[in-house]
Amino acid sequence: MNKPQNTLTSGLLSDNTVLSACMVISPVIMCGDTLQNALALVYAFSSITFISVLVSSFVPKRLPYTVKIIIYALISSLVYIPVRLAAQEFYPSSIERIGIYYPLLAVNSLIVYQTELKFFRMKKGRMIGSLVFHILGFDTVMLITGLVREILAYGTINGQMVDMDTLMSGLAQPFGGFIFLGILCGIYRKIRSAAMKSKNESRGEANVSD
Amino acid sequence: MFLINELIALLASNLILMQALGTSTLFIAAGSRRNLIGTAAVITVFTTVGSAAAYAVNHLTGQKYSDFTLFFYTLAVGILYVLLLTAMYFISRNAFDKFKKYIHVSAFNCAVMGTLFTIISDDLLAEESFSLTDYLSRGFEAGIGFVIAALILTAAYGRLNSSKVPSSFRGFPAMLIYLGIISMAVYSLK
Repeated sequence: MNKPQNTLTSGLLSDNTVLSACMVISPVIMCGDTLQNALALVYAFSSITFISVLVSSFVPKRLPYTVKIIIYALISSLVYIPVRLAAQEFYPSSIERIGIYYPLLAVNSLIVYQTELKFFRMKKGRMIGSLVFHILGFDTVMLITGLVREILAYGTINGQMVDMDTLMSGLAQPFGGFIFLGILCGIYRKIRSAAMKSKNESRGEANVSD
Repeated sequence: MFLINELIALLASNLILMQALGTSTLFIAAGSRRNLIGTAAVITVFTTVGSAAAYAVNHLTGQKYSDFTLFFYTLAVGILYVLLLTAMYFISRNAFDKFKKYIHVSAFNCAVMGTLFTIISDDLLAEESFSLTDYLSRGFEAGIGFVIAALILTAAYGRLNSSKVPSSFRGFPAMLIYLGIISMAVYSLK
């Protein structure tokens, strides 16, 4: 009973899109320096990825791999248009700051490559569930990165000043993004291995008591 | 002095170290020398020929269809993707078998698409609009930038993946921190 649920939610925790699978990391590094940017990216990534993968799932499976990949990329680049137009209303300043990384979200590897390897091997209902958790996995990392980097680099939360004695302005730079994401990834792995260890131990104890 | 200046300029505009474009592909490429050469070669072809295609798209469509820029670029890269696979198939079946995985990985890569968008945004900011040669040279430079970043990572790849690094930080996290430190050094050159 537990096993399928683990697989379904794996995109959020054990197989996180950014921290484990190492996908879609450039917007996190380059644009994840404020919460406002993070929110704009979360909105775009979630809507583009969800709609594109859903629409792409209707592409005939018999087509050659290369043709399917191109169709998936074309679908997402069309989905990107209304998403961007809406984003210009909600996040006008962020869109400008995010720049070239906004369109790049539409050709992310979760849509273009993982669809074939992962999502389209599942049944529709299960695929949607797994996709939502993979998207939530990216969203969580993006929001944590945006929040922490904004506090440490600018001393603000969503543009509001907070009481910070020391600021690390380098964290707002690309190199700060690389280093922060590397540390976040290390912490994530540590927690994941500790959780797996305790899970195995409790399983072992249960087997002994049986 | 000229060469040093050129090297500094190449590093300062490096698509991986300064823009984090194609970082995940770089991690795959740096794993082995064969992967590095294959991926770097294919990415350079894509960024160079892709930028020529971007030039054509920009001049054919203009600002009127700017909302469709991503769609047109994707279409152009898609056509290039098919052409490259087809050409490779007819030139040599051996080369096709060897290189097809690199073509698949590189086609819709952030490094390729990001380069095209970087060139067009630079073009829009420039006083004089870019010529085809400018597009091609910038596309080629981006590919060379990928090679330089890949070589820098390859130099430390073994150590970053060794048992001396704590298991939680071994591999991907250590490589990110390493790239961050290199990026910091390059940032100071700007």
